[in-house]
Amino acid sequence: MPRPVKRALSLLTLCTTAAVALSACGSSNTNGGTGAAADNGAGGHRGGTLTILTSQDVASLDPGVTYASLDLNVLAATERTLYAYAPDDPSSIAPDLAAGPPQISTDGRTLTVKIRRGVRFSPPVNREVTSRDVAYAIERGFNPNVANPYASTYYGDVVGADRARGGPIAGIQTPDDHTIVFKLVRPTASLLAQATVLPLDAPVPAEYAKPFDAKAPSTYANAVVSTGPYMYAADRGGRVLGTGYVPGRSLTLVRNPNWSAGSDKRPAYLQGITIRIGGSPTVSGRQVLAGRALVLADSPTPELVKQAYLHHRSQIFFSPGAGTNYAALDTAIPPFDNANLRKAVAAQLDREQMRRVRGGAVVGDVGSHFLYPGVIGFEQAGGQQGTGVDFLANPQGDHALAVRYMKAAGYPSGRYIGGQTVQIVGLAGSPDSDDAQIFQQALQDLGFKTNLKLVDSTVMYGRFCGVPKARVQACPNVGWIRDFADPQTVLDVAFNGADISPENNPNWPQLNDPAINRAMTRAEVTVGQQQRANAWAAIDRQITATAAAIPWLWARQPNIFAADVRCVPELWNQGHCDFAYTSLK
Amino acid sequence: MAAYILRRLLWGLVLLVLVSLLTFVIFYVLPSADPAQLRAGRDASPATLHEIRVSLGLDRPLTVQYWTFLRRLVLHADLGYSYFSGASVGSLLLDRLPATISLTLGAVVVWLVVAVPLGVVSAVRRGTWVDRLTAGGALLGISVPVYWLGLVALYLFASDIGKVPLLPGAGSYVPFSKDPWTWFTSLILPWLVLGSTFAAVYARLLRGNMIEVLSEDFMRTARAKGLSERRVVWRHGLRAAVTPLVTLAGLDVGLLLGGAVLTETVFGIPGIGRLNYDSITHADYPVIQGTVLLAACFVIVANIAVDVAYAYLDPRVREA
Amino acid sequence: MSALEQPSPAAAEPVLRVEDLRVAFDTREGLVQAVAGVSFAVAPGRTLGIVGESGSGKTVAATTAMGLSRGPRVRISGRVLLDGEELLAASPERLRALRGAQIAMVFQDPLSALHPLLRIGDQIGEAVRAHRSDASRAAARARAVELLEWVAIPDAARRVDAYPHELSGGMRQRAMIAMAIANEPRVLIADEPTTALDVTVQRQILALLRRLRDDLGMAMVFITHDLGVVAETADEVAVMYAGRIVEQAPAHELFAAPRHPYTWGLLRSMPRLEAPAGAALVPIPGRPPSLIDPPSGCRFHPRCPYVRERHREVEPALEPVAGALGHRVACLLSEAERRALWARLAAGATPEQARAAVGQAAPAAAPPAAEPPA
Repeated sequence: MPRPVKRALSLLTLCTTAAVALSACGSSNTNGGTGAAADNGAGGHRGGTLTILTSQDVASLDPGVTYASLDLNVLAATERTLYAYAPDDPSSIAPDLAAGPPQISTDGRTLTVKIRRGVRFSPPVNREVTSRDVAYAIERGFNPNVANPYASTYYGDVVGADRARGGPIAGIQTPDDHTIVFKLVRPTASLLAQATVLPLDAPVPAEYAKPFDAKAPSTYANAVVSTGPYMYAADRGGRVLGTGYVPGRSLTLVRNPNWSAGSDKRPAYLQGITIRIGGSPTVSGRQVLAGRALVLADSPTPELVKQAYLHHRSQIFFSPGAGTNYAALDTAIPPFDNANLRKAVAAQLDREQMRRVRGGAVVGDVGSHFLYPGVIGFEQAGGQQGTGVDFLANPQGDHALAVRYMKAAGYPSGRYIGGQTVQIVGLAGSPDSDDAQIFQQALQDLGFKTNLKLVDSTVMYGRFCGVPKARVQACPNVGWIRDFADPQTVLDVAFNGADISPENNPNWPQLNDPAINRAMTRAEVTVGQQQRANAWAAIDRQITATAAAIPWLWARQPNIFAADVRCVPELWNQGHCDFAYTSLK
Repeated sequence: MAAYILRRLLWGLVLLVLVSLLTFVIFYVLPSADPAQLRAGRDASPATLHEIRVSLGLDRPLTVQYWTFLRRLVLHADLGYSYFSGASVGSLLLDRLPATISLTLGAVVVWLVVAVPLGVVSAVRRGTWVDRLTAGGALLGISVPVYWLGLVALYLFASDIGKVPLLPGAGSYVPFSKDPWTWFTSLILPWLVLGSTFAAVYARLLRGNMIEVLSEDFMRTARAKGLSERRVVWRHGLRAAVTPLVTLAGLDVGLLLGGAVLTETVFGIPGIGRLNYDSITHADYPVIQGTVLLAACFVIVANIAVDVAYAYLDPRVREA
Repeated sequence: MSALEQPSPAAAEPVLRVEDLRVAFDTREGLVQAVAGVSFAVAPGRTLGIVGESGSGKTVAATTAMGLSRGPRVRISGRVLLDGEELLAASPERLRALRGAQIAMVFQDPLSALHPLLRIGDQIGEAVRAHRSDASRAAARARAVELLEWVAIPDAARRVDAYPHELSGGMRQRAMIAMAIANEPRVLIADEPTTALDVTVQRQILALLRRLRDDLGMAMVFITHDLGVVAETADEVAVMYAGRIVEQAPAHELFAAPRHPYTWGLLRSMPRLEAPAGAALVPIPGRPPSLIDPPSGCRFHPRCPYVRERHREVEPALEPVAGALGHRVACLLSEAERRALWARLAAGATPEQARAAVGQAAPAAAPPAAEPPA
């Protein structure tokens, strides 16, 4: 299940400085000359403690509960999943806990994974990980006391999952200690294999965790055990809460004594990691730039990005694949139930300007469809060139084309004269509010009367854009980020008519095109990476052609770290420095 | 006196119940973030949302939820568990309280030490350059936002990012028991920043009171007795002028003990204020309720203490 | 400026001597001449009563004598001699050493004159320890109890810990008196000490002051606006008007044969037992003059029923009265006229009747703001 873009991208002033020619401004050069580069972490120095500064707390340390960006960053160092991404390759899954590639049956209904030997839990459990532990980890996701948000989406096709309430699931079989077999009701094994990069399948020892999982909600997070190179500092009984994790204050990772380097590709150079929670990003950012062994986990403020870019260029990394920003138009109510009007708006909008107020080329590429760089199927859908629709051909907009679409919509003057006022709900605060205003201006240039409301993110999604009854015609500040590389996680929930719901609706444009819905149903069960790429790329083109939503940015997330930190950014997770690969210079 | 205090405390308890009810209403009845939604993510299925709600106890009727909370609090002194971290609310509050107390008490000392001499001197030397300088400084102190002042203080004096590295930077707070010296030096800037606004207000207040007092008859009597000018001003004058300040300080201390969120955020001090703010962002109702009740407690106790202190300081208001 | 008279034979050498004291305040509206040349002397064991309405300068003269008026906007000239020592030129330290020890003052309203938040005993003890650095707290407290007993406060040992508001008006004033005499001063100045008290308590306080004066041999200056009180307590009286002394005489002489129209006005405006029944009270018409821009010539002339043209130009000096020892008056009327006028007034005539009877023409112009007689 893909997530909406959560880290705010805010680089307003970057390109408004006259003096220094930021060569990146206005150019379409994506990665050259802008900050630090992606890294595979080879050849780092051993030792040292890295300190992460974050103003936001982690949501949960329980691998069965969380999937926020910072939490994934932490869990990547402490938990091992069947498959995972190398920091510099966000598209292909690599075996982590698995001993080899996933074995998918020809009918796509069976996924078999062999589990590596010699992987052990951290103290106080200490014993070797078996397939039963992976099974229990997944089964507990269906336990209402754990209530994993994506278990039913990605593991829902497993036989017996529809009736699962935390007990054993028939479709998850463990013929021996190192083999796990998933039996599915639909041929979605390829998707399932990819979905194992999410932390739900990180092994959980049943005999140790069951007492915690019996509580509502489960308290396993207070005493979670690890399989990765690092574990949470804990007291002798294994209790993490209060030692390794002090809510709102700190998180302390130490080396897992039961982790063996031979069983893992991760180099794990660092001796330990401390996460300091609290403080303000303004100050923390400065401390990181000036300090040693520090990394900023928050999204840096625009001033900070400018400063880092201008004076500490090797200390800032712009991570691609931070999601697609788009403007959703409500296709269920007038005026945007009319496709030609939607296309007119898309043609009118200057997406280049939308990007410019956020800082220009360093913040990302102008988007032209919904799959973005790093997602499988991106190239097949057209890549950077776009899908070929005329109304998105020009990043700066095409007014003449917009007028033609207005005429085709039934407004011969090229301007809207209907009675409907367009309600726009955007995000408060620069530069999101600036983007909302640019969007509003585009509508007004076509003659629409508009009413713009700027609110905070929770309210925008929870009360307006995610609630069909609120009748909001346009939401220019929404966005999606994938759960993993499979294109289904970007397109399905966001544009499938079957997912429209009266509250918490993720399909903001309320797109309900039968042809597209059928195509998605077929694509869900397509087997094989190449085939899936082609299938979903076609759907991407179809969705783009409806103009139900106007993509305008493929975002890059800036990350800042101290001068002596050799940060290895997780391209699959917004560029957070991966603790198991990062080293100190 | 004992009966008076007891009566006030009982009323305070009634007030606390009202406060908890009000917090409950504000959180649940008025539109706000949904803790289940925050936990699950925006695209969780309705079924998952429901599961989370059930496990957090959010599916029960509002009255039942409130009654459960109240019963647990009164009978077991249990404030519940955080929706967000699962830690017990009581333990979270206890964990953060020392930092807030350290911050508050130090700031109080700073502002009294600064405000009292300045207030007295600018009253005694009214109209001179000392008075004008103090007035200008006070204006700055009152107008300047605490957050900005904190940032400036760090950018000037923090050892990691400051121009003149003197004092530990943000986030270096440690509990007194762990390292008294660092505890002390890491709090100097926050004390000065937090104390400056109050110092400005109190200095002006004291100046006004002192000017009135200086023209009182008993001042003339004191001089007529042949007392030194210093004794006249400080023992007779200040003593008469300071009573309203002491009561105001008591109230301000009560308020600050509820948490000074801006100062705590800028300097990275893990106090009650920051806990309160974080809990609101996370829609973590049990912690919100806990911090609000704690702050209300402090205000109530401060009010009682201040009234008692006033009776002690000004014998004219004592009843019988 | 007038030459000093021979002091009354019974008196010893004066302890306090004030010579041509002038006090002016520099205000935004102008120079306020509060005291415009006042001279008097008091001997030990004797009481000088200074009488006048508010604004006459009597309190300012007293506080200036104590050195309490000093300030950046105050102009003081003249001499104040305490046992021969010049006070106006003394250093602040010297003045402080003398105040409360050699020369002390009792103020008008003890509720506002005592510090409301300090105990009586502490305030009295403070006065003791300010001048006797070797006195311990306990000794000062004991002395405070002793003083309270001396001023006849019952249950002194308990009352010493009381706060001013816990005492009655009379007891408060006694406490203040105790504080003033703590160090047995040579001079005690009492500024309207009974004005805030009711009549029965007044008598007690006056009796107390008299007793203390005799016990300690102090010279007392008693400031009041109440002629009745003056009659009881003072040996000698000085009447002040607009910053000047207009008449000065031994007390019995003043009441028997006053010589100044202002004094007549004061006496005639008071109810008197020996006045004929049915005789109307005669208030003094008009208001006290501005001290910034005082009237020319005789300062009383705008309100004087017997004013002549010349009085507007010539300032009268304080001159001895022929035939009356120790009696001086500042008036341009002739002695004969004055005697005649007073005889009429004392018999019950109004000022107009008296004036007519003595053969004075009506004043050249009506006095400003004159009110018709009651």
